[in-house]
Amino acid sequence: MPAQARPVDPAPVAADADRPTAIALRTTELAKAFGPTQALRSCSFELRRGEVHCVVGENGSGKSTLVKILAGVHRPDAGTLELEAETVPNLRSPRRAAAAGIATVFQEVLVVEPRSVLENVWMGSDGVFAGRVPAAEKRRRAKQVLDALLGESPPLETPAERLSLSERQACCLARALVRDPRILILDEATSALDVATRDRLFELLRERAAAGAAVIFISHRMDEIAEIGDRCTVMRSGETVATLERRSATADELVRLMTGSDHLTAGVAKRPHRPAAEVVLAVPGLELRAGELVGLAGLEGHGQDGFLRSLAGPDDVAYVPRERRAESLFESKSVRENFGIATLERDRARGLLSPARTRARMQAYVERLRIVLGDPENPITTLSGGNQQKVVMARWLATEPKVLLLNDPTRGVDINAKRDLYALLLDLAAEGMAIVMLSTEVDEHVELMDRVLVFREGGIAAVLPREQLSRRAIVGAFFG
Amino acid sequence: MADRLRTHTWLFAACLALALLIANVAAEPTFGEPGNWPALLAALAPFAIVAMASTPAILSGGGGLDISIGPIAVLANVVLIEWLLGHDGVGSAWLAIPIVVLLGAAIGALNGVLVAVFRYQSVIATLCTFFVLAGVIAKIAPAPKTAPAGTWLTGLGDMVGPVPGGLLLVAGPLVVWWLLSRTAFHRNLYAVGGNDATAFSAGIDVAAVRVLAYSLGGAFAAVGGVALTALVSSTQASGFAQYTLIALAAVALGGTQLGGGRGGLVASLLGACCIYFMQTLLGALEVSSAWLNFVYGCLLVAGVVVGAKLLTLRPRGATA
Repeated sequence: MPAQARPVDPAPVAADADRPTAIALRTTELAKAFGPTQALRSCSFELRRGEVHCVVGENGSGKSTLVKILAGVHRPDAGTLELEAETVPNLRSPRRAAAAGIATVFQEVLVVEPRSVLENVWMGSDGVFAGRVPAAEKRRRAKQVLDALLGESPPLETPAERLSLSERQACCLARALVRDPRILILDEATSALDVATRDRLFELLRERAAAGAAVIFISHRMDEIAEIGDRCTVMRSGETVATLERRSATADELVRLMTGSDHLTAGVAKRPHRPAAEVVLAVPGLELRAGELVGLAGLEGHGQDGFLRSLAGPDDVAYVPRERRAESLFESKSVRENFGIATLERDRARGLLSPARTRARMQAYVERLRIVLGDPENPITTLSGGNQQKVVMARWLATEPKVLLLNDPTRGVDINAKRDLYALLLDLAAEGMAIVMLSTEVDEHVELMDRVLVFREGGIAAVLPREQLSRRAIVGAFFG
Repeated sequence: MADRLRTHTWLFAACLALALLIANVAAEPTFGEPGNWPALLAALAPFAIVAMASTPAILSGGGGLDISIGPIAVLANVVLIEWLLGHDGVGSAWLAIPIVVLLGAAIGALNGVLVAVFRYQSVIATLCTFFVLAGVIAKIAPAPKTAPAGTWLTGLGDMVGPVPGGLLLVAGPLVVWWLLSRTAFHRNLYAVGGNDATAFSAGIDVAAVRVLAYSLGGAFAAVGGVALTALVSSTQASGFAQYTLIALAAVALGGTQLGGGRGGLVASLLGACCIYFMQTLLGALEVSSAWLNFVYGCLLVAGVVVGAKLLTLRPRGATA
């Protein structure tokens, strides 16, 4: 990142020039867990008034959790949060956060479609009954901010549903900007914007920062970070690992910090490279051969999920969904029933279903997948997460597919079950099954895959063959 | 035109209500005579008001639906006749009506707290209220009782000064609604109903808005109970399930989306007019009342299908 001066850099207000490093916000060892998942371990960082502070990190590094705590959506389990040197135990709701001068724009485009632009921009600024801002003032400022963002504001009476995606996100940005926040948080808020709108947004951010506001800017795009960031904090596995000044925050250095330098290619299992086998599935962007393990990687929401789902459908393709509870388990049913549901026709005996046959079939998979199991007639919910996942795997393996699609199968699974799963996948591939696995864990890609497709902004951004697989290469491709 | 229909889904109900009104006049010329208006309005009012009462909960989204609207209206009816207009009752309309309206608002608020704070499914929560109220009503009014003659109720069922009483009663919720539309509450309600996640992240107190929506519905339902009492001048301790169902039918027919965030009170009023005019038309044509429910059903299917079609039309500029 070149350390050049900003293109437009309005002179700071005198008061801020006197104390250029006034602290707007400081977090100390902030932690937050969701059930067994420790989303944030120890987040300590400092936000200065007048700066644009970028936060980067790969999936699950805790960026979004931090943002949601600051936005008042989640409450931290531990740690302290100070606003302008005043300790705030927590921000109980988005409403409290807004009152404290924090405005957040999320990656999701949050508009109420049937309501007008004006209402969407000023949403939440009033009390339950009392209007806090005069109507004329609302119109004037909404128009002013939208003009600045979009070049020309759409008519303020237009329902949000008639706007383009970029204009809708501009409404969300305007909702934050019209409140004149002391701290403005943009969480991947630029991904829905067109380029011209983004450039105008950056202009506005610089103006706001120069006037003393502090901006937290999260983006997956290195070019944006280089363009707008004054400082950059890197998060990894729920911890803040470093804060870099503009001149030292090169893309290489950031990626090195995000991935953790020590385990770049550590523990790669050497697998013999097999000769090319027959193609079992061909779609644009992917020609899948028998016995191949292909990984789908990318930051959350960049199209890998949709791509994987689009592969499911044909008879000899089995898909194991991501959300066990919502998409694959029948929670009130037994282990045996959960296993047999996709292959019931094989257990027919004189027109009736024979549970004994299902149990017999299941036994082979119980041994092979090392499922720890009491009575197969117990409810599936009596098993641990890892064993539930194995039963779901067994369900689909029983259909004897040529292609197995796995959507983040190790999420929320303990380390031993993960190792069993890896061993199983390597076995299956050796037997000639083609496997496509979406994983949010970069290490899984490095250690298991023959090939990794990296997704960015809805498409395949890079295809990395086995010999090029490293944490740095994959995470580097996430960020373009 | 499609755009217009999409943003004003009540236009379908308005056209249908007008067509049915004309058909009524054609079938029975006396229908249009001013002398009949007070009676017609008095008969329309309970329908129309319970339909309006069902609307705020639905608008507040999250699958909100208040099943207990009918029982709240009937509770207001039996409380008025058994207690407030009895020998040792309060007598005056200026006291009696506010009491039942407050009672309705309190029951509505209770529903709202169950739904918005304790996160019960609204259908289940209000169904519980429905049964509890059914029991309370049976206890208060075990046998039918007639209202004492010559009270203000007679006026509300006919004319209050120069104004038909039915019109006055229907105007009550409409005026309250109009006043609210001049406050932030109206905007908050439609924002919460349209997308509660967005409303929450923008800083709206979603739970408070929902509780108030249910409370408002309860208050309106009690006004519906006053209208019912003015119409029948007696306790009407059964048949409240019917009121709930017809109210929901009117809301749907009016074009208010059951998902929340789109529609309004006037839309439900128009929906109720359609149902009422259909009923009077069938009466004028001497069609057996056995056909009535059948026709309601068909009308509703037509209304909901048209509404769904209108909503799926792509608005201009959405792909721009």
